[in-house]
Amino acid sequence: MLAPTQEAPHTPAPRARRPNPRIAQFRRTWYFFRRNTLAMVGLGILIFFIAVYGFAFFYPAPATQLQTYQASQGLPPSNTSIFPEICTYTVGSPAPLPSGCYPTPVGFPSVIGPTTALSPLGLGPLPMGSLTINPGNIQFYDIFDGLIKGTDWSLTIAFGVVASGALIGVVVGMVSGYFGGVVDESIMRLTDIFLSIPGLLLVIIVLAVFAPEITSIDTRVALIIGAFVVIWWPTYARVVRGQVLVVREQRFVEAAKAAGAHSGRIIRKHIMPNSIYPVFVQMSLDVGSVPLLIAAIVFIGFQIFPNQNFPEWGTIAAYSVSFNVVQSFITACQTASTCTIPWWQFLFPGLALFLFAISVNFFADGLRDALDPRLRR
Amino acid sequence: MPQRGDVILDVRDLCTYFYTYDGVVRALDGVSFKVRRGETVGMAGETGCGKSVTMFSALRLIPDPPGRTVSGKVLFQGANLLWGIESEAKMKPIGTTGRVKVTRKFRRIKAANERMMAVRGHGISMIFQEPTSAMNPLFPIYDQIGETLLLHRGTQLLEGLLSATPDAPTVRPALERLAEAVERRAGPGEIRSLAKTAAEAIGAPSAETQLYYRARDARQNPAGVLHQLTRSIHRFRISGAQRAYLRHQLGLIRSQERLKQIYMAEMRSGKLDRTAKINLRNRIRLQRWSHFYFSLWGIRGRISKPLKDELFWQTVRLLEGVQIANPVQVARGYPFELSGGMLQRVMIAMALSSEPLLLMADEPTTALDVTIQAQILDLMRDLKQRVGMGILLVTHDLAVIAEVADRVCIMYAGQIVENAAVKDLFAHPLHPYTQGLLASIPRMDQPDKRLDSIPGSVPNLISPPTGCRFHPRCAYAMEICKKSRPPMTEEGNGHHVACFLYHGTPVTE
Amino acid sequence: MRLWIYIVRRAALLIPVIIGVMTITFVLVSALPLQERLVSYYGPNPKVPYNPEVSCQKLGIDKPGNCRNPFYYNGLHALGLDRPIVVQWGIYIFNSLTFNWGFVGNGTGAAGQIPLAAGHPVVEVLGWFLPYTLELAALSLIIILAVALPLGNLSAVNRNRPVDQAARVMSFSGYALPQFLLGTLLLMGVVLLIVGTLGHSLYCPATPGNSPYFDFSGSWPPSNCFANNAYPSWLQKGQISSPTGFPTIDAMIHGQWLLAGDTVLRIIIPALVIAFGTIAVLLRFVRNSMLEVLNLDFVRTARAKGVAESTVVRKHAGRNSLNVTITILGLTFAGFIGGFPVIESVFNLNGVGRLLAYSVTLTPYDFGLIFGSTILFTFLVVAANIIVDVLYAYLDPRVRLG
Repeated sequence: MLAPTQEAPHTPAPRARRPNPRIAQFRRTWYFFRRNTLAMVGLGILIFFIAVYGFAFFYPAPATQLQTYQASQGLPPSNTSIFPEICTYTVGSPAPLPSGCYPTPVGFPSVIGPTTALSPLGLGPLPMGSLTINPGNIQFYDIFDGLIKGTDWSLTIAFGVVASGALIGVVVGMVSGYFGGVVDESIMRLTDIFLSIPGLLLVIIVLAVFAPEITSIDTRVALIIGAFVVIWWPTYARVVRGQVLVVREQRFVEAAKAAGAHSGRIIRKHIMPNSIYPVFVQMSLDVGSVPLLIAAIVFIGFQIFPNQNFPEWGTIAAYSVSFNVVQSFITACQTASTCTIPWWQFLFPGLALFLFAISVNFFADGLRDALDPRLRR
Repeated sequence: MPQRGDVILDVRDLCTYFYTYDGVVRALDGVSFKVRRGETVGMAGETGCGKSVTMFSALRLIPDPPGRTVSGKVLFQGANLLWGIESEAKMKPIGTTGRVKVTRKFRRIKAANERMMAVRGHGISMIFQEPTSAMNPLFPIYDQIGETLLLHRGTQLLEGLLSATPDAPTVRPALERLAEAVERRAGPGEIRSLAKTAAEAIGAPSAETQLYYRARDARQNPAGVLHQLTRSIHRFRISGAQRAYLRHQLGLIRSQERLKQIYMAEMRSGKLDRTAKINLRNRIRLQRWSHFYFSLWGIRGRISKPLKDELFWQTVRLLEGVQIANPVQVARGYPFELSGGMLQRVMIAMALSSEPLLLMADEPTTALDVTIQAQILDLMRDLKQRVGMGILLVTHDLAVIAEVADRVCIMYAGQIVENAAVKDLFAHPLHPYTQGLLASIPRMDQPDKRLDSIPGSVPNLISPPTGCRFHPRCAYAMEICKKSRPPMTEEGNGHHVACFLYHGTPVTE
Repeated sequence: MRLWIYIVRRAALLIPVIIGVMTITFVLVSALPLQERLVSYYGPNPKVPYNPEVSCQKLGIDKPGNCRNPFYYNGLHALGLDRPIVVQWGIYIFNSLTFNWGFVGNGTGAAGQIPLAAGHPVVEVLGWFLPYTLELAALSLIIILAVALPLGNLSAVNRNRPVDQAARVMSFSGYALPQFLLGTLLLMGVVLLIVGTLGHSLYCPATPGNSPYFDFSGSWPPSNCFANNAYPSWLQKGQISSPTGFPTIDAMIHGQWLLAGDTVLRIIIPALVIAFGTIAVLLRFVRNSMLEVLNLDFVRTARAKGVAESTVVRKHAGRNSLNVTITILGLTFAGFIGGFPVIESVFNLNGVGRLLAYSVTLTPYDFGLIFGSTILFTFLVVAANIIVDVLYAYLDPRVRLG
């Protein structure tokens, strides 16, 4: 409460020293963000994924990700697990299934249930099971390993795409919005052009033209990032331009101009800080859809990575529902009276994609609501 | 029927708060005043003192969230419009932050908003500050005014339409006389009176306007006037399907009016009339469904054509009433095609279309230039004389108040500080704030005088000053002013003031 | 009249967009090896290799040694590849605008070639497949509008209440669920459900053997799912007339109502899956624009007039937010179309998307088809934008008259 003790009637009451406006803005945003349950859940999941990302960096090399077991060889050579049962089961073999395996009907390729997968770290049984790569010559792919290592590749690509896309988009959008006129018009036409090609197609044609000759993984990933940036920069350019157009008309920019500040300074000091927040929101939205798009591209059969065992979420998820897996399942179910749904194959890779995408969406939505005063309350 | 001088709006202890991040904004804190029939009450004060909020609170138009009217009564013809408002939400302060958590009971709020249908537009109409943004940009004027007309005067209108007799024996001779007058280029007065005779023969309320404008337009091509006029009354020949549709509409509107009566009775007695209401609601819902089938049946709206035409010509008539020179074109136009002054007239016509008891005007002249302002104010005064309604006029322009108001309420920081007849107030302002306000108006008769201004600025309503809210800026502030809120006292002749400088008899309602 | 001027002006603005898209594809095409470009423009000719010089005997010339390969040189000249890049660009743009998109090659994939298509002009082949895509798009657009508009309005009116939260979660799931995963799970669910009870299913898993165009086995109709048994075999090229190319409409023209129902049933689940993603995007925009409109002055005026709340929401606010919705729908149309290759692959529908998905799995890639379908999709997006502009003008008198 205000204590009306001061002598001069019209001076305001003494108040606590004003905090730094940036910090106050941050506090305010954080206050609204914190009250949004979904946003906090999103933030939690996101932090988990980033922790896994850091961990995956030190995870064993991809050599252990594909273990090839010949049915005739019996137990795999690296089996030092406390669970000796391994499902090695030749299609159509009359021998009984080892215990711990899922019962599968005749004609349906063998799949290993979640309890028997092995970890290369020797941690024992892992909860995610395996993916059957090659039904005839049984190859198992440890989904857990794939997903952990996949975090590394998926998030690297996603963050790479979003960061470089945003960088290009911010620069272009700033220039476009600030200078206006012919520059603005031509840049906006350019973004129109890019936005009217479906993103999936543009990525495919860029990769189809340039990728076949590239064999090195790193170069290939760089090319993939580049292809995605081609489709993503226009979005950022538009977002930034829209913001700049609003901010540019504000009084403080006019004041700075009147005070003789040059364009670079105005952009850096006044326009940039006031129009950057929507870019953060857009970035967090997009970071989730990059792995989804990769998965879609892999799913339609386009070889985006050198082999189909490449540890990347989208690749694993797409393979788990690719037509020979589904087809064998359906034929099995059509011919046999009972059949097992290899649910772990669909669930875990799908869950990784879904959780990551939905967490960044929750996060972005909470951020937008917290930042936009009109949507508050 | 209420007589002149009866109280039609009685606002008592109205409190409206806005619950925001920074805390609770006490926008209105115990506002009380009355509006009588045939009286214009002006409300004046600085920006942000709660003038408009008072008005919106009375009709429950406060955006919620963040705002809520937490207590008070608004008695309109004895019905408490804010009935049950205290039970619509629970407020719980969050720690010592000054913020308050509001838990709303949406069912009750929805029901209360539905009850307001009985009053909004029907008994109380509103005019808004920015006519350009207050009209829906996507619908033509006749659509927007016609909507109000159908809602509030639908019964009368449809009955008139259904009982029209375009083929009565008296119609033809009347039309012939009108056509003859047009052919010899008679003056508009004569045409008007002849059109009136013909319209009386037809018996539909808007026929006069229609015939008049048809006749006037026919002057360009006098050859086939009679033919044109005969054709123009063709729309009163209603086909069977159209008649069924109109009857159906009439039934819908009648049950809606019955519902409104029930709501008014509820708000008067403070008791719910549940069964009757539910029955009626179900009936209305059923009628809405059959309305849907009607719209399928009359594809392209052919069966609603007579009604649409009627609404159009009624709109033209209303627009004539607010002195618009080319009402036919204006009625057909869209809001963006009209100027601000024109739109304000349209708004007034829309507000008056339901012949309300009370007109609330929220800064009706602020967005207009001075010549238009004068015209609009004249218009409002004329209409008040003619229709005999009460007006609540909110403005920050004291000149406007001096021009049209009978009584004035001066507001400061969410409270009424002075309430007096307009002459009284301008002659002897009592409250120091009113004195300051009047002293800050430039006067033509004292060109050398320096303008006085009130020191300081409007207080922050989240943590308003204790006691009298004006005390930090008041030159006469005393110790008691900081401690307690001054009561409203009567200083003779209906001059009420809330200030410790005066010691009249306290006003009790 | 002014409406026409407006539409023509908007359409004219889209011409640079089309040319720009073609320029992008031109840049990519130019990066291809010469042989690929010649194949995609002059069709596969396995007898004559694309070397500049071939053995004269192969050309049927009775001469020893190497001769100039007429195929190579003619193609080179026709595409302007021996002339400056600007001329090449001009020729490319001209070809693209005149629907001269080259020929389908004879690349082989996991399941062989596209037997009916090899050697045909790309435009013709795309024309066979386009009606299926358009039917699917139309159905899913209907679903999108029928769900997103009412639900968006509902969640704006009941802001931050359970309905809104549910809509929000649904919207986020639409963003985050991979379409192919959702599609496959639904497909398998339906197959399981129907196979268990009826012994056959409407939906076929995505194997090349199950489709008239992707069928290489020679056995027709394929026998393992119901849909293809009932599938209009007269739609196979050259058997019975297919006046419009649209399977549902054709079936109706032939008076086969069951078949028409069957074709619609076949695309309902794919349409739902595609709609789900776009509804997610649209729902947020409908809700937010509705919230914004509900705070505007004229909505308050309508309430003050005594208009019922449902009418306020539907008529006064709804019509205003519809404009925003339609604009957003135009903007998201590219993303919407981008989902077609995936969904058509999952459900084995004979659309352009499926064709594209198939052409990127061939070895070598069928660049004629890839670029052709890209340009076709771009045309669709541009056409959608024109329709959006017309609708916008129709709905908003300020655009129509101002």
